[in-house]
Amino acid sequence: MTDMTRRRARRRVLTGIAAASAALFALAACSGGGSGGGGASPAGGGKDASITVFNGATGTINENWNPFSPTALQPTLGVIYEPLFWYNLAETSDPTPLLGTEFSWNDDGTELTITTREGVSWSDGEPFTAKDVAFTFNLIQKTPELNTSGLSATAEATDDTHVVLTFPEKNSFMQEAQVLGNQAIVPEHVWSAIDDPITTINPDPVGTGAYKLKDFTPQSYVLEKNPEYWEEGKPSVSEVRYISLDTADAASAALLAGDVDWMSSFLPGLDQMLKDNQEISYVNTPALTTSIYTCSSTDLGCEGPQTDPAVRQAMYWALDRDQLNKLAGGGFAGTGSPTLLLPERDADWIADPGNLEVPSGADVDKANQILDDAGWTKGSDGVRTKDGERLSMTIQTVTGWSDFISLNDTMKQQLAAVGIELEPSQLAWNEWNDNQVKGTFQLSLDSIGLGASDNPYFTYNPKYSSTNTAKVGEMASGGNYARYKNEKVDAAILAASQTSDEAEQKAQYAIVQDEIVKDLPYVPIYINSTLTEFNNTRVTGWPDNEDKYAFAASWKAWDNGIVLKTIQPAG
Amino acid sequence: MTFVARKLGFYVVALWAALTLNFLIPRLMPGNPVDQLVSKLAQKGQVTPATRHAIELLLGADTSSPLWQQYVDYLRQLAQGDLGVSVSYFPAPVTQVISQTLPWTVGLIGLSTIISFVLGVGLGTLAGWRRGSWLDNLIPVTTMFQSVPYFWLALVLLYVFGSMWQVFPLNGGYDVYTTSPGWNAPFIGSVIYYGTLPALTIVLSSIGGWMLGIRNMMVSTLSEDFIVTAEAKGLRRGRIMRTYAARNAVLPSIAGFAISLGFVVGGSIVTEAVFSYPGVGSALLSAVNSSDYALMQGIFLVITLSVLGANLLVDLLYSVIDPRTRARG
Repeated sequence: MTDMTRRRARRRVLTGIAAASAALFALAACSGGGSGGGGASPAGGGKDASITVFNGATGTINENWNPFSPTALQPTLGVIYEPLFWYNLAETSDPTPLLGTEFSWNDDGTELTITTREGVSWSDGEPFTAKDVAFTFNLIQKTPELNTSGLSATAEATDDTHVVLTFPEKNSFMQEAQVLGNQAIVPEHVWSAIDDPITTINPDPVGTGAYKLKDFTPQSYVLEKNPEYWEEGKPSVSEVRYISLDTADAASAALLAGDVDWMSSFLPGLDQMLKDNQEISYVNTPALTTSIYTCSSTDLGCEGPQTDPAVRQAMYWALDRDQLNKLAGGGFAGTGSPTLLLPERDADWIADPGNLEVPSGADVDKANQILDDAGWTKGSDGVRTKDGERLSMTIQTVTGWSDFISLNDTMKQQLAAVGIELEPSQLAWNEWNDNQVKGTFQLSLDSIGLGASDNPYFTYNPKYSSTNTAKVGEMASGGNYARYKNEKVDAAILAASQTSDEAEQKAQYAIVQDEIVKDLPYVPIYINSTLTEFNNTRVTGWPDNEDKYAFAASWKAWDNGIVLKTIQPAG
Repeated sequence: MTFVARKLGFYVVALWAALTLNFLIPRLMPGNPVDQLVSKLAQKGQVTPATRHAIELLLGADTSSPLWQQYVDYLRQLAQGDLGVSVSYFPAPVTQVISQTLPWTVGLIGLSTIISFVLGVGLGTLAGWRRGSWLDNLIPVTTMFQSVPYFWLALVLLYVFGSMWQVFPLNGGYDVYTTSPGWNAPFIGSVIYYGTLPALTIVLSSIGGWMLGIRNMMVSTLSEDFIVTAEAKGLRRGRIMRTYAARNAVLPSIAGFAISLGFVVGGSIVTEAVFSYPGVGSALLSAVNSSDYALMQGIFLVITLSVLGANLLVDLLYSVIDPRTRARG
């Protein structure tokens, strides 16, 4: 080819490329323009209302609708599948009947009889009967990989609306909340044909819940109204879409742009952010008690000044919780209780009114007195010593948990005033969790979690019972990371689990509370806020601070179904 | 031919070493997948001692067999193409997780790297050719963008173009509301639209390096005797710039480019975090956080293979484009 033809050919190629890119950009502009400038938004309110929910999913979403699997997608539990009853953890109330209408125990505590609801159909049209309930529990009982609750009961459907669960041990009353409120019921006609209930992802889930699956992609999935749903007129919102967002910044940007209708994120400047914004409201349901976990038992191998109860008591009195709430909690935290229960919701369970709430300010004199009496004398550098040991402890938390890191730094200053030295450290979650489970820590900052129901058993048993602990160096998977061992407490917890009489339980918990308030293996700070933000332009009827009809967090299993059933399209 | 064979042999040994390290390093991390999963469940609801036992059975208590046995199994499964089952995305197999996320990463990061290279080399060539022109001012500007922390640059651009002037979308890989994945025009258009801002941030923050490199090489190449000969022969200036000067100056940059292409598959975790982009970086991050050995090994394997492949390609390519490397003695 000559120079001229080569140049002409090149010009033609360049023109072609320019034309192609122009076409591509035009295409992008078209689709971009159609979906709106700031990215796509969900469809508006009105009859065919559709909302977007962010439930904490990050990165690629993995499809898994198997309600027995620990990695099931969150709407599986409560939105697609339902349990027998629903326990409201936001306020004390009787369990709400869902698929079950009544239940009763026999005197021994070995048989639980449940009456199931009539007129319920599965989303494929088949009728729901008590046989499905019996099948579900038998499947769990005979498949150890699925039996995460340790269920030992067998079930039998006596007729279409009654099922009896038979427990091998007497007084199995404490299993009630797990069985009735935390187990999704699956259809026998589908699951008896599934070869491998352990690893199946259950691609076309058939449930009794208010919504069923419409479409799934690894970036987002949509649920649509279940026309067979048993409750008349519900749900009102026709579609629910779930998306994944990687960071809190992305979540708050999406919230302010109006892209998300329901999400639970801790946004410290929330009041400021929403000052001029009428569309967005939020609710604060404090539920998890942020506490200092201490490795407390020398018998089980703990080392350090925190094994001395006087030190733990001094820490409890020396903390200025008002300041901690302002600096780290964003002002949203609730007041905790030395009994590790929630003072507002659980006031009836707290036997001694003196143990109801933690002090809000610091009582430095009392803390100093306690340490002086225990033999800790102030050294020349301001840090106390006893028998040659300095009152200095390491406290670990997770990198990235900014509110906990602020807590550590503030507590370090507050406790220095009484001669206690704290050395905060930040670890990756793996290592932090490993240290807690194995007990290779002195102090650790963590939260006490939610139980199956609001019965204090679900707080006290995992955290204080010596059956759930292990020596330092071994795994305490049961949850008693503080290595707390107290025979009186063990006996009281056991006695409480053997009875269904609430007055008797309360008397036993009184014994537990007396002991743990004295020993304080977990030093409570405050109740960490659970902030949930709502957009009210497309739907209304979200829980608010006056009407906490459910625990509003978008990640909470079971309650999410109740909330989605209750909201209405706006306008 | 022995040249190529020697190269290949070396790379096979390097591959074996990489695979062994790939096996050992995740196991040196503290924690094990069962406890991670149990603790994660404890944050959201009720767990009992039976939970740990159930999950152990579910995931397969593979921590019980001795290390050398696990190593042999690992190599055998690799040879069969079985990368195992992921723990953090249980029960999805590792190949499925990777195949869902890798195309997004390769598409976004790969295209951005190519665009950044082409633009950087083009502008740098011009800047080197026309020394003293306004193009020289581009160098400090672009190197400033390179040295600014990438996440900060990305966040600022996202705020400006996503929230302040709503030109680009705030998050995601494509428009989930109106398009669905497939080879259709709306989806492809949506992917391009959503990928523009992340690509822009990557290009902005990496173009400085390419520009600087080739501009300096151009300056030193232009002082060579063969350039004077070409000018004396009466060749057009544009032809000298492209075919004589740039072609020689770009050799080191090509080596760097091939290597950065190899690292593309590692994903850019920061990009994916800032833009909530569905790539392999966030899968790797969650795998590391959950002690998900199988997924970690799978992704490291992909990275290793692509880096080694890119290196091999560069080695062979170099012998093609630069005949001096072929000559011996």
